[in-house]
Amino acid sequence: MDEKKKFVLITGASSGIGRKIAIGLSATYNVVLNGRNFEKIIATKEKCSEINEQIIFIKDLCDINELEEQFSEFIRENNIEISHFVHCAGYMKMVPLKMTTVETINTTFTINIISAALILKILINRKLNNAALKSAVLISSNISNFGAKALSIYGASKAGLDGLMRSLAIELAPKIRINSILPGAVKTEMTESIFDNNETVQRMEATYPLGLGNTNDIYEMVEFLLSEKARWITGQQFTIDGGRTINISG
Amino acid sequence: MEKFNANIAEILEVDKVEMDDELSSFECWDSLTILSIIALSGENYNVTLSAAEVNNAKTVGGLKELIKSKMK
Repeated sequence: MDEKKKFVLITGASSGIGRKIAIGLSATYNVVLNGRNFEKIIATKEKCSEINEQIIFIKDLCDINELEEQFSEFIRENNIEISHFVHCAGYMKMVPLKMTTVETINTTFTINIISAALILKILINRKLNNAALKSAVLISSNISNFGAKALSIYGASKAGLDGLMRSLAIELAPKIRINSILPGAVKTEMTESIFDNNETVQRMEATYPLGLGNTNDIYEMVEFLLSEKARWITGQQFTIDGGRTINISG
Repeated sequence: MEKFNANIAEILEVDKVEMDDELSSFECWDSLTILSIIALSGENYNVTLSAAEVNNAKTVGGLKELIKSKMK
């Protein structure tokens, strides 16, 4: 049987942390770039390394009805195998409980957790992916084990994502390792509304012992967890937040 | 903007509001209430507000005018 080309799938690759991870990984891996906006994904692709291959998978992960069929078809059509998976697609809306709608809850959980579970289901399908998947990293949030005002639904979704990660780490061992990264405040399009307010930024900076982070701080950990250097690590949450969540100074 | 007053009253946890009521005079006025107002203007009027804009609006009437001025 012909050896198929192996790729890393990155969801949410059109901006922010996902874009940085895609560009960084493209230096060593072939990558599949997923996003919903074609122009933004092309902008990511243009910054990727020319040494390796990039393929685009346009799909809004908010719409999961045909996700399994469309993603399976994508793998078949391109005749590829996915060896690594990074789930970066995320939806965050700061909204107090009393203003929370069913739509917000559905969108948050669908993009943050359900899409990741369905994609992993496809990736472990032997017929489709030939047992190629070795490692997955799910981008969670440092809110996962803590709490914050107006972030209850987002926090619940990230805690859920980490729960999915732990159980799958056991279910899919020893062939597949799966871990999550819990970033603190990183300025991206998704968090723009928080960073827009100078007062909030100043207040936040004061609580980060190492200051605020950037997308590269997250990329470095993703690269390590995907690699063979992390061969004995699975089912773990890695908080990358400049010390924010261990800071109990008053 | 028919339901504006009723929606704002609900967010401010009172039975009814007047146009010249000062926003900061409400007992429940805090950062969470401001986020609720930002969510309301986004969901109901497709208007994006910042916390600073909400604070600068000063009164219920000022807030209504602010949202109106940003509606397309």
